[in-house]
Amino acid sequence: MCNNHEHKKLRSNNRDLQEIEKQIDRRHFLKKTSLGLGALALSNLLGAEKLFANVTPQSSPEEILKAYNKNRLGLPHHLPKAKRVIYLFQSGGPSQMDLFDYKPKLTDMFGKELPDSVIGGQRLTGMSGAQSTLPIAPSTFKFKQYGESRAWVSDAMPYLSEVVDDLCFIKGMQTDQINHTPAITFMQTGNQLPGRPSIGSWLSYGLGSDNENLPTFISLVSKNGKGQPLNASLWGNGFLPSEHQGVQFRSGKDPVLYLSDPENYDGHDRRHMLDYLSHLNDLQTDSYGDPEIQARMSQYEMAFKMQTSVPEVTDISDEPDHIFEMYGKDSRDSGTYAANCLMARKLLEKGVKFVQLYHQGWDQHNYCPGGVKSQSRKTDQATAALIKDLKQRGMLEDTLVVWGGEFGRTVYSQGQLTETNYGRDHHPKAFTMWMAGAGVKPGFSFGETDDFSYNVVKDPVHVHDFHATLLHLFGVDHEKLTFKHQGRRYRLTDVHGHVVKDLLT
Amino acid sequence: MNEVPDIVFFLGRFHPLIVHLPIGFIMFAFLLEILSKWKNLKELRAAIPYALLFGAITAAKACLLGYMLASSGEYDGPMLDGHFWFGIATTTFTLIAWLISIDKIKFIKLKGFKANIATLTFLVVLISVTGHYGGNLTHGADYLTKYAPFGEKPEKTAPPKTVNDVVLFDHVIYPILEEKCMSCHNPSKKKGGLSLNNAENILKGGKKGLAIVPGDLKESGVFHRVTLAHDDKEFMPPDGKTPLTEEEISLLSFWIKSAKADFTVKLVASEEKDEILKTALAYLNLGEHAKETLPTVQPADSTAVVRLANAGFTIRELVYDSGIYDVVLPTKTSKTSEETTKLLEQLAVIKDNVLWLSLQDNQVTDTHLKTIAQFKNLRQLYLNKNAITDKGIEELKAIETLKSLNLYGTEVSKESFASLLNFKSLQNVYVWKTKVTDKDIEEFKQKNATVKLHLGVTK
Repeated sequence: MCNNHEHKKLRSNNRDLQEIEKQIDRRHFLKKTSLGLGALALSNLLGAEKLFANVTPQSSPEEILKAYNKNRLGLPHHLPKAKRVIYLFQSGGPSQMDLFDYKPKLTDMFGKELPDSVIGGQRLTGMSGAQSTLPIAPSTFKFKQYGESRAWVSDAMPYLSEVVDDLCFIKGMQTDQINHTPAITFMQTGNQLPGRPSIGSWLSYGLGSDNENLPTFISLVSKNGKGQPLNASLWGNGFLPSEHQGVQFRSGKDPVLYLSDPENYDGHDRRHMLDYLSHLNDLQTDSYGDPEIQARMSQYEMAFKMQTSVPEVTDISDEPDHIFEMYGKDSRDSGTYAANCLMARKLLEKGVKFVQLYHQGWDQHNYCPGGVKSQSRKTDQATAALIKDLKQRGMLEDTLVVWGGEFGRTVYSQGQLTETNYGRDHHPKAFTMWMAGAGVKPGFSFGETDDFSYNVVKDPVHVHDFHATLLHLFGVDHEKLTFKHQGRRYRLTDVHGHVVKDLLT
Repeated sequence: MNEVPDIVFFLGRFHPLIVHLPIGFIMFAFLLEILSKWKNLKELRAAIPYALLFGAITAAKACLLGYMLASSGEYDGPMLDGHFWFGIATTTFTLIAWLISIDKIKFIKLKGFKANIATLTFLVVLISVTGHYGGNLTHGADYLTKYAPFGEKPEKTAPPKTVNDVVLFDHVIYPILEEKCMSCHNPSKKKGGLSLNNAENILKGGKKGLAIVPGDLKESGVFHRVTLAHDDKEFMPPDGKTPLTEEEISLLSFWIKSAKADFTVKLVASEEKDEILKTALAYLNLGEHAKETLPTVQPADSTAVVRLANAGFTIRELVYDSGIYDVVLPTKTSKTSEETTKLLEQLAVIKDNVLWLSLQDNQVTDTHLKTIAQFKNLRQLYLNKNAITDKGIEELKAIETLKSLNLYGTEVSKESFASLLNFKSLQNVYVWKTKVTDKDIEEFKQKNATVKLHLGVTK
């Protein structure tokens, strides 16, 4: 169609010009064939992961069968424990020694200089590295042991302390990055530079969708957390086909941007429009063979389905009052962390595989006690409620819950230390995360830090190991889920990572 | 050994390359002979002497190179002798066959033609035997017949039944060495002079030193080589063979270090066994660490799967190519009880293939549970938000594999508890928003500790 159009424009009566045009034709021919053939081969290679996306009610039995017999990726590799995951990302770097990593010995060391032997020659950030003194700042929070598992939790998180017997703490987390953007990117994609697919995209690519009316991977950013900016590359598909990117749901009238019909349009001929558009796109695919055209088509289809499925799933009016009470009063205010937790549960119930929630504001360089308290107030109740809610619905059995930030915080005070106030700088060498639910040991704590919560002394878990373990829970061998891009095969864990078997049931 | 110059080893390694040429030439000569007789294509006969001549030349070369390869000392035993003599015999006989074919040697009685076919047939037998010996040397004596559908399987050490029976070397270490090392390190093919087939040979070590030094990982050659970086020249097993897994390495390290490479020690008797017990048991598939085995099922009828998908089920294979599925009927797919009946009838076609099943909020009633009770491999069943009563639960006990039963938002009460006690593998039951109360659960706990009943936190 387009080609004819081009030809008409180029044809001329002048003989010399026609000669030139013939050359253009040949060039065009060569370009098209080489590009077309190459792209055809490419789409063949990519065909595997397209199969699922391509299944529509119009598909032939063979096509559907191929899709259900799963793709040529050969996944899952083993019997999964988890069917879905909600990742509660605490952006900014929550202070582990003010929340979970209890260090009683610090009380006697108030204001003393942090020994060089502990720092071990580590290069500090520019923010506190130039400080003349690095005084030890014991936590102002009161710690107590809770549950049958006797887990230590500070009084900043009174609600979470009720559910510790369902949690699996990883106290020896380690990352390679000391600043926010690279550290978050590392946590979400396995690499500190943007451009790799995030965890959710890998899972979408590897395992496909459980609900064809909703995206496999959804991200939610709470509106009541302020801090370092987050960007869409964190839930991006990187080099994977673009239908695997996370779809952001926002607060307010339009949970997904540009999804609702424009004003004064009733949408009755939308189906017809999309059919014709996909006919045009098919022609384009035939000409250029670019697999991204396919991706775009499947995204149009998804958007069309989402016009009905999203309002349905984002409507929380049918939730009873006691549920709102459990998640806290914020949960009625759309877009808050609490409301997002509730929304996440609804999405998981509908078969969304990966819900990625972000809450910013855990970056307590100064006023740490107050900051941790206020952050906890916004998140603690809803986090605990989510665990309880999933549990009472029987969903904690096959749902994995992950809580954690991109790094931890320093034991020494950034800025002035007083009895009641201190700041804490970024600390990549030790921090705490927890998981709960599908396939992880409940009421369990793994790994230990030294008396300063500065170095991991027992059972360190690197970010790559965490990724490997997460994929393992979904039945995926992290060394086998690969994607060839720019001449080499990539994995979420790149060339690293060990499954931490001690965390698994 | 040291007097042999490196060039000899270098050339020797071309033996496996050259050796296929005489095989080809001789088979080709044989084929030409057969064809010329059978199809009466006389003109083909002219090529036979050439094929045999080249066969003889390359065979001689192969012998020479083979001798060089053998001088490395990596191969040993009667297998090598057999290969050596048969190789020479083949070469000599090829030369004779050539001489016959060009009439330098004449058998008057048999007339040229018959002599040719006889010698060629004999040659094919010779080269097959030689090749077989050679193959055994390279790949190990059981390579050819390992997966043969006939014949006796070599007897294996009986697998241990309980933890107490486990002999660390026999049951754990030896199988690892056998699987990953012994195709090259066995009595007939001692790569690097090392054989790992028994205690004596393991302790003897190879040309590069000791294979195992009790209690010392650094000095133990085997451990050192398998833990190198994968791209290291010295890394074992070499390129193209499967490396040891992390578990296997940790088991090997435990045996060398903590168990002091004791060949008879039992796992339970070894010191510091706790650190390795779990890995060892998982490796042996024993006790509570036994891997969850998947039920063996007939692959699901493919058209049935398609039909189910079209009917509204979401079907996902749980392990690639296992024929085992996770089946979800999206909530409110079925509007009436009759519809559910029809859907379940369809699903029953693949009833053995379903491991996880979710029918939440889909008009399921007690009568449907009779059908579901036939799904004998079910492990997880979501029946929440359906009008199910205690009567229906009774049926489900027929599913012996059922571990988790979700009944929240149904009409069950403590009357179901009696039947819950009869479930064989049941671990978790979710009864939030049913007639079950906290008090009922406390009472149940007294009777049964394995089944956990979960009530909600909110009413």
